Amino acid sequence: MPFAGKKLYDALVVGGGIAGIESALNLANNNLKVLLVEKDLTLGGKMIMLSKVFPTLDCSACITTPKISEVARHPNITILTNTNILQIEKQDKNYFKARIKEKARYVNISDCTGCQLCEEACPVVVPDQYQYDLVGRKAAYIPFNIASPRVASIDMDNCVLCGACEKACPTGCIDFTQEDKEYEIIAKTVIMATGFNLFDPLKIPRFSYGNSKNVITALQMERLLAPTRPYNHVLRPGDGQVPCNIAYVLCAGSRDLSVGNPICSQICCMYSIKQAQLLMGALPMADVTIYYINIRSFGKGFEEFYEQAKGMGVNFVKGKVGKITETDNGNLILWYEDINQGKVIEKKHDLVVLSVGVLANDEPKKLIQGWEKDEYSFAHQKDLFYTPSLSSIEGVFLAGTTSGPMDIPDSILSAGSAAMEAIRYVKQTSIDL
Amino acid sequence: MKQRIGVYICHCGGNISDYVDVEKVREAVAQNDGVLIAKTTMFACADSNQKGMVQDIKENQLDGVVVASCSPKLHEITFKAVVERAGLNKYNYVHANIREQVSWPHSDNKAGATQKAIQIVKAAIAKVRLSEAIEPLEVDTTQAVLVIGAGVAGMKAAISLSKMGTKVYLIEREPFIGGRIAQWDVLCLTNETGKELVSRLYTEIVSNKNIALYTGAQLVDCKGSIGNFTAKVKLSPRYVKETCIDKEILKKAINACPVEVPDEFNFGITKRRAIYHNFPAEYPQTAVIDMNSCTRCGKCTEICDKIDLNMKEEFLELKVGSILVATGFDPYTPNEGEFGYNVIDNVITLSQFKRLLAFSEPGKLQWHDKPVKNVAYIYCVGSRQVDGNNKYCSRYCCTATINTALKSNDKFPELNHFHFTRGIRTYGKQEQLYHNASKSGHVFFQSYEDDPCRVEHKNNKTTVKINDILTNRKELEVEADIVVLVTGMVPRSNNNISDILKLPRGRDNFFNEIHMKLRPVETVIDGITIAGACQGPKNVVESINSALSAAIKTYSFVGKDKLMVKPEVAEVTPDLCKWCDECTKACPFDAIFKNEQGVAQVNETVCKGCGMCLPVCPTNAIQLKTFSDIEIASMIDVLANEL
Ligand SMILES: Cc1cc2nc3c(=O)[nH]c(=O)nc-3n(C[C@H](O)[C@H](O)[C@H](O)COP(=O)(O)OP(=O)(O)OC[C@H]3O[C@@H](n4cnc5c(N)ncnc54)[C@H](O)[C@@H]3O)c2cc1C
Ligand code: SF4
Ligand code: SF4
Repeated sequence: MPFAGKKLYDALVVGGGIAGIESALNLANNNLKVLLVEKDLTLGGKMIMLSKVFPTLDCSACITTPKISEVARHPNITILTNTNILQIEKQDKNYFKARIKEKARYVNISDCTGCQLCEEACPVVVPDQYQYDLVGRKAAYIPFNIASPRVASIDMDNCVLCGACEKACPTGCIDFTQEDKEYEIIAKTVIMATGFNLFDPLKIPRFSYGNSKNVITALQMERLLAPTRPYNHVLRPGDGQVPCNIAYVLCAGSRDLSVGNPICSQICCMYSIKQAQLLMGALPMADVTIYYINIRSFGKGFEEFYEQAKGMGVNFVKGKVGKITETDNGNLILWYEDINQGKVIEKKHDLVVLSVGVLANDEPKKLIQGWEKDEYSFAHQKDLFYTPSLSSIEGVFLAGTTSGPMDIPDSILSAGSAAMEAIRYVKQTSIDL
Repeated sequence: MKQRIGVYICHCGGNISDYVDVEKVREAVAQNDGVLIAKTTMFACADSNQKGMVQDIKENQLDGVVVASCSPKLHEITFKAVVERAGLNKYNYVHANIREQVSWPHSDNKAGATQKAIQIVKAAIAKVRLSEAIEPLEVDTTQAVLVIGAGVAGMKAAISLSKMGTKVYLIEREPFIGGRIAQWDVLCLTNETGKELVSRLYTEIVSNKNIALYTGAQLVDCKGSIGNFTAKVKLSPRYVKETCIDKEILKKAINACPVEVPDEFNFGITKRRAIYHNFPAEYPQTAVIDMNSCTRCGKCTEICDKIDLNMKEEFLELKVGSILVATGFDPYTPNEGEFGYNVIDNVITLSQFKRLLAFSEPGKLQWHDKPVKNVAYIYCVGSRQVDGNNKYCSRYCCTATINTALKSNDKFPELNHFHFTRGIRTYGKQEQLYHNASKSGHVFFQSYEDDPCRVEHKNNKTTVKINDILTNRKELEVEADIVVLVTGMVPRSNNNISDILKLPRGRDNFFNEIHMKLRPVETVIDGITIAGACQGPKNVVESINSALSAAIKTYSFVGKDKLMVKPEVAEVTPDLCKWCDECTKACPFDAIFKNEQGVAQVNETVCKGCGMCLPVCPTNAIQLKTFSDIEIASMIDVLANEL
């Protein structure tokens, strides 16, 4: 359903990751009119960037894209991408007023066919945030092949206003005069599905991230392994060589008071084991070593998945990595405390992956009054054991990683839970808008 | 015969095209009889391709469509919806699986994989050529739901469904509701006790007109299918009338009972009578007589006239549109001698220890009249088994143990805690508890996977020995006053639910969902959903989330008065039937009956299209719609000719 400035909705869903998508579908299938607001250019959140997903090794795009397609054509769902929430206010009569800003894309969405001719024409190259800076993109660009909507956008921060794209576009949909638009909408209930942030490994200088090109994050590895990958092969970014001795550093930025994050991120053990399995397939000659404190394979089928990785020959070493240094040829030396022997050991690797953890996205705090957070900045769950999806505000529900680290299956279940409560809430508030 | 067929071959972003030459497949089938369009696509399921397909179908008036991609389990529904959107009947769509059946298993042989893919796609084309448009069957739905199990998941689901205006029958096999949480005094990440939580849920349930709660209620039979199930429920009597409200008299009656049996509520570490209560805030608040141990001596009836040993069991027949299963878990029961269980007197399970902490007076924890100071916990008992069948991690137990140990010190400050772990798994925010325990002087050891710790009892002393990882296999030992086996979760025992409802179980023996991410609460039996720990280990919050997800799904089945169901069912040609009765014997769903004309007839809404009746019919009078003999034969012809 196109937006066209429509004002009234049953539910406002903030965030178009897997949790937001799943919430929106659940609400819409029960006849609620939903406005789904995503601040990024495309729906899909982190999940659409992943390669395959544990423990079933389904291809992530194959799970996400059909769901997105269903959202995109659902008669009860209106989608706004590239849109910020400015402020949500609860009004006395149990409804919410939200001010939102749809940012200019400089492309007319409905006319863009996604032909990518503008991309070819654009002379500007900048790091591609959707490939986690592994490769470049143009200033006029489509985020990635399976983006939704799959339309172009002009990155005004980097555009040189040469007008090449405008000339190249066969449908004339590029429009440099576009401006941000602000709207006010009203909804009876709100679901916050604003997701999580990844730990920034620059905060741990001993890991050399940023200095050594062959130290990468797990999300960069996801991109290297994904079907829509940048190099069509797993190569190390430093020199394009095929790595043959890869190390994973678990709990990077988690369970670590020195970086202010004492909790466990709950997903990184498993995604590292998954990547290790995928690497064994992609690079049959490579050795993969996982340095861990504890392996947390607790979910359905997870322990079996861990055992499978051991069976495939992934090397698990119980040890805490102290520092990583680079040698002349871009190889890396990893210093770790071997828990068995109680001493520090050096090991050479040619690619190191930091299994960075989950941090709260505490943006909602700025968006809505009365929002309370827990001691780790995740959403406060007001009635954890009765209505886990209830936030500190009546009528505002929590889906996915907004309330804490979660994998995809748990995010999906929590989205179902939030949607159920939201429907119930809407039913009991008998206001006709 | 379809003559305007569209064929789409998917790269699956490399999942297929890395091993199958999809362009070659396209070329090989493009000239096939009836094929009008043959295309390859990066992701057939992506929105852009779906739109393209709709356009192709409309512009070229395609009359049949084949997509060669992943397993039909994943996306057959997706593509059927696409052709429907383009105005084509969805039974003119045929799915070819060239990922799970080709690219993944044959990654070592690209030429062979490509050849096999060609054959599979050609067979699908042969089938679609003969395909016929059929319409889904419409059934009236009963707008009521049966929820099985009144633990936290079942109760939450029942409450949510009732608030949507749905009639809910909530049946609980035990005489009291609450499931396992009723037994826990201490829960993690909250100060609420299990008892308080149950009483909140109970209050909401009994005050709700839409929920009918039955305790002592067991499913004994179930017939029908989505939209219209008929469930038969056996109600065991309590033998104590609800009008029994005089607590004093009841107490005397209970004390008069001469029978003593282990009390399951306390996991057998205390005794109860044959007539018993669970705990002061039990729900419903009426005592019950356990007829398996009652000797019918009549002593209690002499004291209280509200007791009636002659109450009879009753049967209920419930008509519902959908069933939500929330039968929960049992704590694993260790084998005789497993870490000394049942052999060494002071070895007990975590469940027993939690009850012991709950009912013991503050400040003097005792076990069999001896004071307890040192507590040793042995983790992963019955989970992560190296030799046994339970390969899985039970998820809740590391956190539950540490939390129990931490909170025990509020009541029993003298306790010291020694944890014999296999690597602590306090995932997420629960990590804070592990941190707190380490800070408060709890001692943690970790054993090697192949070298578990040992419990020994000598000279009246029980010791736990471990070759610890942190000290490079040096043997360490702790003398313990009580050894707590941290037992994992297993599915509820003596449960005939899966047989009655024909629900499949996974390798871990828990109920299986269809797909963890696409259809996480649905089972292969349409209209039956699963919630809580019966699907796999979960803590309370996770159980509630899954319960509400199941509730919303269930509501989508019963929220409307009509439902569309699959028409891929068996069909009898009456002229050919000689009524030999073989088909009714072969049908696992009782879907076939003898009609007034004396021949076999299929009850279309009950038939699941499994095809069991087809091969047994001596006159070939039964055909399965969309899988008719000529369709299958045409596929075999293609496959065989290619060889
Ligand atoms: C390297 C890696 C590998 C992983 N592998 C797996 C795996 O194999 N299996 C698995 O189960 N899990 C895996 N995960 C975990 C998985 O990514 C998460 O469980 C899942 O993405 C959580 O979904 P979400 O919707 O809660 O959050 P997100 O994916 O973060 O989505 C949140 C969305 O909200 C938007 N948003 C945020 N703030 C606002 C705002 N103010 N206004 C509007 N929109 C906003 C964001 O742009 C984003 O689109 C992996 C994670 C990582 C980092
Ligand atoms: S999930 Fe594993 S890697 Fe991630 S923080 Fe927890 S223990 Fe560390
Ligand atoms: S949660 Fe902990 S105790 Fe329970 S099975 Fe898993 S690792 Fe073992």
